Amino acid sequence: MTTQQVAVAPPRDRWAKPLAVALAGGCAVALALGLYARLHHPARYALDVAGFSSPLYAKAWLTTAAVVFAVVQVATGWRISRQPTAPAPAWMAAVHRWSGRIAILLTVPVIVHCIYALGFQTYSARVYAHCVLGCIFYGAFVAKMLSLVRRDTMPRWVLPVLGFVVFVSLVALWATSALWLFATHGVHS
Amino acid sequence: MTRRGPLITLCAVIVLAVIFLWANTLVAKPGSAAAPTSATSVPATSPWATSAPSTSASTSAGTTLHALYAGRSSGDQVTVAIAINGGKAAADLNAGLPSEVSMQGSVSGGRVTMTAQNGVGLEGSVSGQDMFGTITGFLGQSFPFSAAAAVVEAVYAGRSAGNQVTLSVVTDGDKAIGYVCNGRNVQAWLQGSVNGNQVTLTGRDGAGLTGTLSGLAMFGMVSPAAGVSFPFSAELSPRPAGVYQARITVDGLATRIGWAVLPDGIQLGVAVAGTTKYAAPPLDLGDDSFTLGGESYRASAVAGNQTVVTP
Repeated sequence: MTTQQVAVAPPRDRWAKPLAVALAGGCAVALALGLYARLHHPARYALDVAGFSSPLYAKAWLTTAAVVFAVVQVATGWRISRQPTAPAPAWMAAVHRWSGRIAILLTVPVIVHCIYALGFQTYSARVYAHCVLGCIFYGAFVAKMLSLVRRDTMPRWVLPVLGFVVFVSLVALWATSALWLFATHGVHS
Repeated sequence: MTRRGPLITLCAVIVLAVIFLWANTLVAKPGSAAAPTSATSVPATSPWATSAPSTSASTSAGTTLHALYAGRSSGDQVTVAIAINGGKAAADLNAGLPSEVSMQGSVSGGRVTMTAQNGVGLEGSVSGQDMFGTITGFLGQSFPFSAAAAVVEAVYAGRSAGNQVTLSVVTDGDKAIGYVCNGRNVQAWLQGSVNGNQVTLTGRDGAGLTGTLSGLAMFGMVSPAAGVSFPFSAELSPRPAGVYQARITVDGLATRIGWAVLPDGIQLGVAVAGTTKYAAPPLDLGDDSFTLGGESYRASAVAGNQTVVTP
């Protein structure tokens, strides 16, 4: 009986530590990415994704696809977060997970190119913001994954908040790169 | 309760990132081994774009060219820097994006044709001190451009084929200087000229260098002393590569120190005091300072039009 009570309503000190670990992990990843991108000498050269006119367009379309999956993720996440009052259908959790996984995997070639070939640049406000947002995005993603590991002990607001940060930073990343490229150089492959 | 799903997702991201990073380092290697990739990425940040037009580049169609051109597209969207040495050409395009495009190609009868990865192309024709042409397939568009011939200091740094000596040659228009040494007891200062794609330098006691500029490199023979001759190759190199010099007094002895610095920061130098020669102290390439016998001194980068060999 007591153990069940603990599982249903864990005391504060049970979630504070896992959450602190998750946030610290996220911060560490964000910092590590930023420092590596800043200190590593940009190679100015990286693998191309076939079928696009330039690496820039390949990255822009990959990011756009990631944003589309992220929208699905947020929509299903929003529905799932209302769980106790209105249980979501079981398939929704699967769609939520897989849309998120696909979205994040789509961003991996992009961030590798960004960090390896270009690095952390500050020569314009857009570029500066994009670099900072990239670090925040991956930091928040790692924090969210680590929170999920112990999500039964976490308060209900943790995952929606982290998910929101991940989604907003991804959309902002897209707006400062792909949207900018499409607006200034045209929408094509 | 601990869930593994999120950790698997995290691991998948890390594995994919490592695979991409690994693939990138594999792809990037041929690029860095071929000197032009690294050499051509330099000019956009340095003097090429701002150099004033000059009159010394020989640019009549049909003759051998050795020139640098800097300019912009007609709409100002793209800056372009083009190096021509003999029949080879290389260019850098920069559109204010974080990524530049490096191109290579050939020159024939005053016409320059270059291509880069991603299908970017450049065609130009030399007309007097200017080059006019079109960049195609860059960011999905074509850009007409014009560029003016520029006199710029160029540094060619390299080694002899058997690694016996290290050398740096600095050209400035049709003038050039060089320094060759082995870092211990052999060294020579060289002075001379650039004529077309031929570089001819001479020094004291039979020292000399003859080189041919080809693309972004110089090949030839260098003699640090009479009767000693080595084949060498040197590539067009960004700072800190160059020739550095210090004339100081150590223990009452007038001492001249020279350094040949390669683009990766590797440096070899020799100090000469009278007839004594010894390895030069390491040069701090951040502020060109060095320490000898507890005293701190400063060296200076030698320009291509300076006099380093007094007759």
